[in-house]
Amino acid sequence: MIALGPLAVAFAVFVAAIAAVLILWWGANPGRGRAPAVSERTPWTGGREPQVHAWNRYHARYYPMALVFLAFDMEMVFMYPWAVVFRSEGLIAMVEMGMFITILLLGVLYAWRERALEWV
Amino acid sequence: MGLKSRIAGFAAAGPVPVFVVAGAGMRAMVQDVQLDPHVRIVDTPRAAALLLIAGSTNHADVQALARLHDILPHPRATVTWRTHDPFVALGGAGAATAVEEDDPVPTLRAVFRDILTGGRASEPAILPDVDAVEWRGIGPYGQGGSGMTGGTPYGRPMAELGPDRDGLRLDILPVSLGPFFPRLPSGLVLTAKLSGDVMTEVAVTTPGVLPSRPGSASPFIRALSGPVAIAELELARACDHLRWLSDALMAQGLPALGRRALRLAHEVRPGDGDRVRAFGARLSRSGLYRWSLPRAGLVEAGRFSGLGLGPIARAAGVAEDVRLEDEGYRALGFEIVVMRRGDPVGWWQVRIEEAARSLDLAARAAGRKTTLVGRVESPRGRLEPGDSPTNRALALVPELLSGLEWGDALTTLIGLDLDLDEAASVMDSGELRATA
Amino acid sequence: MTTYASTEVALLAVALTLVVGVYLVAVADRLVAVIVAGDGVPIVTTLVAPVRQVAWLLSQSRTTTERPDAAGWAVAPALLAGLAAFALALVPLAPGLVLADPDTGFVAFSAAIAFVMIAVFLHGWSPNSPLPLIGAYRYGAQALSFQIPFLLAMLATALPAESLSIVRIVEAQEPLWNVIRQPLGLPIYLVVGLGVSFWGPLNLPDGSDLAGGTSLEDSGIARLLWAVARSSMLIAVSAMGAAGFLGGWYGPFLPGPVWVIVKTLILLGVILLAGHVFARVRIQTFVLVSWAILIPLALLNIFVSGAFLL
Repeated sequence: MIALGPLAVAFAVFVAAIAAVLILWWGANPGRGRAPAVSERTPWTGGREPQVHAWNRYHARYYPMALVFLAFDMEMVFMYPWAVVFRSEGLIAMVEMGMFITILLLGVLYAWRERALEWV
Repeated sequence: MGLKSRIAGFAAAGPVPVFVVAGAGMRAMVQDVQLDPHVRIVDTPRAAALLLIAGSTNHADVQALARLHDILPHPRATVTWRTHDPFVALGGAGAATAVEEDDPVPTLRAVFRDILTGGRASEPAILPDVDAVEWRGIGPYGQGGSGMTGGTPYGRPMAELGPDRDGLRLDILPVSLGPFFPRLPSGLVLTAKLSGDVMTEVAVTTPGVLPSRPGSASPFIRALSGPVAIAELELARACDHLRWLSDALMAQGLPALGRRALRLAHEVRPGDGDRVRAFGARLSRSGLYRWSLPRAGLVEAGRFSGLGLGPIARAAGVAEDVRLEDEGYRALGFEIVVMRRGDPVGWWQVRIEEAARSLDLAARAAGRKTTLVGRVESPRGRLEPGDSPTNRALALVPELLSGLEWGDALTTLIGLDLDLDEAASVMDSGELRATA
Repeated sequence: MTTYASTEVALLAVALTLVVGVYLVAVADRLVAVIVAGDGVPIVTTLVAPVRQVAWLLSQSRTTTERPDAAGWAVAPALLAGLAAFALALVPLAPGLVLADPDTGFVAFSAAIAFVMIAVFLHGWSPNSPLPLIGAYRYGAQALSFQIPFLLAMLATALPAESLSIVRIVEAQEPLWNVIRQPLGLPIYLVVGLGVSFWGPLNLPDGSDLAGGTSLEDSGIARLLWAVARSSMLIAVSAMGAAGFLGGWYGPFLPGPVWVIVKTLILLGVILLAGHVFARVRIQTFVLVSWAILIPLALLNIFVSGAFLL
């Protein structure tokens, strides 16, 4: 086989692992021959028949926190190259990133006060 | 084939995955099966090979039991343990193995080996292979056709919209934690409407009529009709608390410490109070009280006063205990354990401290007997003929659980220590209903 | 200095590491459980039991529910295992001995960690069953909350290295390991390691209060593959922690690769012990602590260590 670049090798490992698991998933089923009966396929919550399908417009109560996460994720995009040039840029790099972080932390504080990090 | 049977044979010597249903009066014995290294009690029937039905279950739950049986994947088998059940009437357990001895494990291992090596066929489904609602359509995904116009894809409707906290138009999911949920008393059904993972509109139903059971040997029941040695009573109380602790620890994600608690329940003797306290200190080091149990006050103290709810009420600051009225206890210098927090952290801490004090009391008891007749302080609260603390606790469940997130709700429910066996023992006709 | 490994060697190495590692995790987990529970420790049984359990799961049939997302249900453990293998391929054993060392290795690893949320959500969504669905959404909150502390804690290790390449990050620890000069980094990383493989105290998607959660409807090969994928993720996270915080291949007497393995095993042991000693965290508490405590601590870590570097 040819020698691939580093990311491509990692990606090849990724694809191979996925393929291996999928092959096992579909291949290694001793009960393949017999299709399950209706009563064997019921979702289980303790024994009662479920009233509705589980798929629904679920209220993911943490959606405000997800918005704050987006902000911090964008900050991480900037911190990746910042970490590489930090040492050579010196104090100015630290001060600038410090200002950026402070603004975001104020955002977290606001979210905390507005109970966006809580559930009920 | 050669390879498959060899793999199956190799698996047959391993721990047997069992899903247990603890019927009337068998809760303690089922719990003890966990200590056997040859058996692995699993949380979901899909991981199990054997269904162990211990004791008798309610007649109304027969359908649920059949559904539970069918959900076990092949290869599967049923083993009944001291049960006299209508399960047989469904035609499913004609092949079930019955166990009458104290130890079901050898039979479990034998049956497991049989179904794996082909000595016994996997049990067929009990319930008919018919859809719940006639829905079959035309297309490959069941779409089209008259069966779909009612909005029941694959026989079930989709979840409906409901009022929501943020004014959002989102769905409410009705869920019923059925009669046989792990670590909940068998027969108890909790129905809730979930908005996300927050419970709203919680209701709890219990079996209407519990099957008749052999005479109860619990010292608390005996203390209702005559004097019982205090040492025996307090030792039973400590063991009861430790058994509850074992189940509760497993529900909180500490299965190893749960087994340790169960082992402790077997090993403690009068005077081992400090051992229990040391275990309690270990639990507080595991972060249980800091990040695992809900810490906000659920209910204010006034709500619990007069209900005789035992450790739950005492944790909320209500200083009530039937033992205070008892001459025998007063002579021993019995002191009540009271805290000022109305949340599960308090319930846990009160129970552990009470277990420790019970063992200290039992060591000092020296042959004294109880003097009260007709009332006794069971590990759950004030027990009288016709009235059990479980009834009163069940009445509180809807208001305690509504508005709680799922994990907190389950923790609270298990923290209430509901014991339907104890309730059934004191009910005259076997009828169990939640009293206000 | 980037090293290219031939693809066959890479596949073989990762496969071997995962097979041996998953077995080790199973044995060690059982051992820790038995010690914490106070049972006696039967050596032979502990060594053989995981293999018997694999045999049992291979003999059990894989069930389905009445209207699942069959493709999603299959992809979930595949994706988790793939991400674990990908992350493992990025861990270096020695300066010349790494399967994949891209210049942005850290970013690749972070991407792999981020996708775990997709895999777990798929696993809970696909069976079309209420309790797995709750587990899936709970993990959504957990994953969003630990992402930022994780990125910040690992980013601090890139500061002395002036590079995002994992090999450079390890080489920068030659004078002093990161666990000593950035003491807050490793604890935060371990918490996140527990969260990514949802182990022990952070086992919220598959918790016992959900009777198995996202794995509730799994049986047979499905259950086996999910467990293997989880353990693989644990190994990958431990290995990267050993590289990023414990100095990788640096150490006296023993050759470099052996040190990497030893350090990985140490971190694995710590995580497994934490799994049996700490109670499951409430999701609300975890979200709050993650945002209000872990992020400021991680930022403190970055700025203090950055100040020392200038």
